[in-house]
Amino acid sequence: MKKLVALFMALVMMLSIAAVAFAETPKITLIVWSFTDELRGMIDKYYVPSHPDVEIKYTLYPTDGSEYRNKLDTVIATAPTGDEAPDVFALEAAFVKYYVNSDTTVPLTELGFTDEDFANSIPAMVQIGTDSRNGMQKASAWQSTPGAMFYRASLAEKYLGVASPEEFQELVADWDTFMETAEEINEKSQGAVKMFNSIGDIWNAYQYNRAAGWVVDGKLNIDPVLYDYLDLAKQAEEDGLYNLGSAWSETWFLGMKSDTTLTYLLPTWGLHYVLKPNCGNYDAETDSIVEGAEGTYGDWRMVDGPIGYSWGGTWLGANAYKMAEADDAKKAAVKEFIRFFTLDEDFLYTYAKDSGDFVSNNNVVNKIVAEGGTPNPFLGGQDHYAAFSTAANLADGTIMTEYDDAINTLWSDNVTTPYIKGEKDLDTAIADFKAAVAAAFANIIVE
Amino acid sequence: MQQSVAGTGRGRHKGLSKVNYNRYGYYFVAPFIIVFLIFQLYPIVFTFRTSLSDAIGWGKINSSKIIGFDNFRLYMDPASPVYWDFWNSFGNTLLIWIANFIPQILLALLLASWFTDSRMRLRFRGGFKMLIFMPNIITAATIAVLFYSIFSYPIAPANSLLQQLGILHAPFEFFRSTTASRTIISFVQWWMWYGNTMIIMIAGIMGISPELYEAALVDGCSSRQTFYRITLPLIKPILLFNLVTSMIGGLQMFDIPHLLTEGNPNKTTNTVARFIYQQAFTGSRNFNYASAASIILFIFIVIISLMLFWVLRDRDSARSLRRKAS
Repeated sequence: MKKLVALFMALVMMLSIAAVAFAETPKITLIVWSFTDELRGMIDKYYVPSHPDVEIKYTLYPTDGSEYRNKLDTVIATAPTGDEAPDVFALEAAFVKYYVNSDTTVPLTELGFTDEDFANSIPAMVQIGTDSRNGMQKASAWQSTPGAMFYRASLAEKYLGVASPEEFQELVADWDTFMETAEEINEKSQGAVKMFNSIGDIWNAYQYNRAAGWVVDGKLNIDPVLYDYLDLAKQAEEDGLYNLGSAWSETWFLGMKSDTTLTYLLPTWGLHYVLKPNCGNYDAETDSIVEGAEGTYGDWRMVDGPIGYSWGGTWLGANAYKMAEADDAKKAAVKEFIRFFTLDEDFLYTYAKDSGDFVSNNNVVNKIVAEGGTPNPFLGGQDHYAAFSTAANLADGTIMTEYDDAINTLWSDNVTTPYIKGEKDLDTAIADFKAAVAAAFANIIVE
Repeated sequence: MQQSVAGTGRGRHKGLSKVNYNRYGYYFVAPFIIVFLIFQLYPIVFTFRTSLSDAIGWGKINSSKIIGFDNFRLYMDPASPVYWDFWNSFGNTLLIWIANFIPQILLALLLASWFTDSRMRLRFRGGFKMLIFMPNIITAATIAVLFYSIFSYPIAPANSLLQQLGILHAPFEFFRSTTASRTIISFVQWWMWYGNTMIIMIAGIMGISPELYEAALVDGCSSRQTFYRITLPLIKPILLFNLVTSMIGGLQMFDIPHLLTEGNPNKTTNTVARFIYQQAFTGSRNFNYASAASIILFIFIVIISLMLFWVLRDRDSARSLRRKAS
């Protein structure tokens, strides 16, 4: 026993001497929290090789069932500066506003960033990462997720006589022409082809028509344009202009592989991860068409659609409580982490080339477009990078609030669906909606 | 106890029996007590405290102040924002629970009496029991996904089938109909739990002395008479147990409504547990309102349980006790 203890002691001493000898500059440890494996992959592949002096402790909590948010909220409420608490955390579009509009995230200027650093970033991503209370930017994104409108070239040509994306864009330039086209395609196809698949598809884009978000100065704000949205949805329901689907339902996916739906409003990730894999004749292994199978591969084209919008994205923010106590070395490491992933043009270029992801920096995007972009056989050779590069700068991120995720659901459950299906009249629906907001948010004034 | 030991003449072992084994008992229950104190009692006490506080939002969960019974008054005041929501979900919960419980207990009783009837030579009893119990083993999330895809709109198995049979001419949106949504939830609850109830019933019936059944057989009772005169009265405590546990579970119904309909259409399938969840973990995180609602639900369950015990109490033994007393 004594021998064992002695051996152990000797080992410990040797190791500590060795540690002192080898690690002359002690490594800085950054605790990073995220909700997907995506960031971990990027850290391992790009960050670690170029930053040997930083050790990353990565913690993953899935967003399903809001586990990530509950973990984050709990650790911020109980021990925001503890060893468990993150230095840097990833934020999703659904809840990024909640954290940037609070004291949880540190203003990026306190880490040493200046506004000029973000001059080439896509505006919507900067706007969404900005604290609406004081205009300070607090989170930065490496991706940009502009939305666009995808349409079926063969159906558009057959029923509407459209030959090019430019011509199609004229037919959907705003919501009025969009609805005229919807009526036309319904009529000419005798109801076989509908303009869109679900009301939710329209909402994702239409909400960007608002002049202000859901909550203005602590009060619930029902933007007048939302009544136009209800008229549009009601007309679509009564005239049978959509496929009666709902997002992620069987009907919704069926429309992507059959000749039943003319358009889908989807963002960057929607093209690669939703539309393409569900088109019916796409082989993921070879990234190409399956000959002989039924499907819509190659028949899609994309246009900007009636309005620029953004859907999704991932931001990086830093824990304000930890930064208040951190020394300069730590702050510099946090700054470098955020800078590397969201502002480093060399990294963003490499990453965009490797992954095909649409990045948040206009210089990088323009460089890729200038190089000939990314002609996409799924879009009949159309360059999606070029098409998204115009759409990306159209979206207005200032209308996002931290309440959006919850209030959008309340709006759809209490107003849109019951109203267009004739279950409630408009006044009742709006009154129910206001009551539901008041019940859910003790801190919003509802008039 | 010790006195009686001494009284039986084994008093000379008294010195030995002084070795106290009692403390080992405490050691053995200690893990449970510790776990109970941390994970059960403390949260309960904390919920009581939160229900009397102003804890809205994560930021205030540890720095909240006691403000008295204001949170409870919200549920008594028709003008408050949560009043209608809460009592509406209360009504929904009761309705959905009753609609699933009555058929559940009837079928469970019927199946239990069949499976235990010695005169009925049912084959493959074990297999049937397993099949009937199976839905209870599958997780609620899986079942919710299954039923969601069956009753989806406009293209889904239920709609295709009904249209092919000529019952429907156009697709029916099940989850926009109050009756259909509630029926589907009640059905799922019934389907998941009748196997469980049946197993408990079988256990209860097996516990009845076989001599009684033999005597009934000798006296020439029919199966029906045996059931009504012997089985039913003797499993009344088990029935009561089932009723109370099912009611406690039913009033806390959460998973199926949450995953299948999310309270839609128009909050007609919202349950109390879902209301509490929404107050605490969505919106502005109104922990105090949610805690107060939990306490109200708790008090309600206690009252109903006591009433059930009183209504279904064993009158005979109560009477004989009184006779003894007098």
